[in-house]
Amino acid sequence: MPASPVAELEDVHKSFGAQPALRGLDLAVAEGEIVALLGPNGAGKTTAIDILLGLRRPDRGAARLFGADPRQPEARRRIGATPQDTGFPENLTVTELIGFVRHHYAEPRPADAVLDDFGLTDLAARRVGGLSGGQRRRVAVALAFAGNPRAVFLDEPTTGLDTAARQALWAIAARYAADGGTLFLTTHYLEEAEALASRVVLIDRGALVAAGSVPEIKAAVEIRRLSYRGPPAAELPGVARQETNGERQTLWCRDADAAARALVERGIAFNDLEIAPVSLEQAVTIRLRGTGPCD
Amino acid sequence: MRLIAAHIRITLLDLVRSPAYWVPTLLFPTMLYLFFGARIVAPDAAGFALASWSVYAVLGVAFYQFGVGVAQDRESAWDSYLRILPAGSLAPLVAQIAVAILFAIAAVLILWLAAGLAAGIELGAGVRVRLALVLAVGAVPFALFGIALGYLVSAKAAVPVANMLFLPLAFAGGLWLPPSQLPEAVAAISPLLPTRQFGELAWAAVAGGALPLASWFWLAGYTVAFAMLAVWARRRDLGRRYA
Repeated sequence: MPASPVAELEDVHKSFGAQPALRGLDLAVAEGEIVALLGPNGAGKTTAIDILLGLRRPDRGAARLFGADPRQPEARRRIGATPQDTGFPENLTVTELIGFVRHHYAEPRPADAVLDDFGLTDLAARRVGGLSGGQRRRVAVALAFAGNPRAVFLDEPTTGLDTAARQALWAIAARYAADGGTLFLTTHYLEEAEALASRVVLIDRGALVAAGSVPEIKAAVEIRRLSYRGPPAAELPGVARQETNGERQTLWCRDADAAARALVERGIAFNDLEIAPVSLEQAVTIRLRGTGPCD
Repeated sequence: MRLIAAHIRITLLDLVRSPAYWVPTLLFPTMLYLFFGARIVAPDAAGFALASWSVYAVLGVAFYQFGVGVAQDRESAWDSYLRILPAGSLAPLVAQIAVAILFAIAAVLILWLAAGLAAGIELGAGVRVRLALVLAVGAVPFALFGIALGYLVSAKAAVPVANMLFLPLAFAGGLWLPPSQLPEAVAAISPLLPTRQFGELAWAAVAGGALPLASWFWLAGYTVAFAMLAVWARRRDLGRRYA
């Protein structure tokens, strides 16, 4: 019999007032996986992670951590998560905060190692209130790993981090996973899912859209915006949607390369050609909801 | 237990390192006592006044530490994080209560010390024990009331609301002026107030003789009422934030 998943949502429904946040979401994270819950802003990612962490109760359906109700402290013994960095007790030092969190776990990671992992050694004796935004963010993420948990939950972990700090975090996450840890993160950057995840679960408007490997999800949602000045071209390959604005043509492409090749092959007199990636929000809107970027 | 100790430790450390917060909380009752209460040196009246200001000091902690502290905590993201840690949702509250008890003890000890040093007013050892007992038990309904307040009002509103309740209750309860000197209308409602009943017990503790049973009953009634209010307010708030 397979071991029960580390984390599991089963047909979870959740509304806030009349506003549905989750509509029958199913999700399972197995031991050793790195799962990215990907979705545009407002897709229900934070609600899903809050329910998994026991902060909220599903209206319908079930949530489980290691087979138990996440609202029971016992179920949370083997997981770590990040606080929002806005609410620290300002007068505590970094060491004191890490020590406090370590107290909650049976076999925590040595405090020095936690400091070292996140480049916090030099800041150890500093009070949290005096740290910069990026430093606070690093402390917040360090707290998730301080208990040496078997699974770590990160909600939008790299928001507010610069590129170097983001890459450092990804390296730590990858090492943690290589050592057998399970990682669950929410993100609205396809790039972040790509850097980390062994599996991506894409949700939109509270429901599962697609789940699979990074290339599969990428194929399902990646979109590029191709634009040029010149006459419009009908029925180009790989185009999901197109728009004309005077001279300027804008094409949202599943395959921008194919579209560009076709423009050349058909001898369309274009100039000022640009190809740029678009945000996940726009990609999901165009490809999954079937509506254009203008609505 | 180890966990609760850890929660107490960080709550205390965070507070102790904010002198702007704790210096006024601890010293305000003593300062007011030195302005108004310490001038009363007639033997009976002096003890009576010191008992009143001791009650005032304990109430200050109950209203401000709890009323304001709980209201602020529940608006902070840290509070949510504490709920994710495998500790149970009561550990932070228990830590708050423990720290408030420590603060109340400190506030009263500073007051007694100042009364002895500045005004030469010393309570006997037996009186101190009796008064300390009354203060410890009498603080319970007010701590519950403070918790209820903290869960009912926003952090922004907590200080003004606490002031609006605390100052009139202290005055009308006879903690600043003895009940005999209260304006007539105030004197009429004074016996209905929990502050007055708390005062009656404190005054009896320094006067010697039996502690009035009726006042115990009044406070017990208020304890039940405020406990129900606190539980209801906490559930209502948690239900909203963590439903």
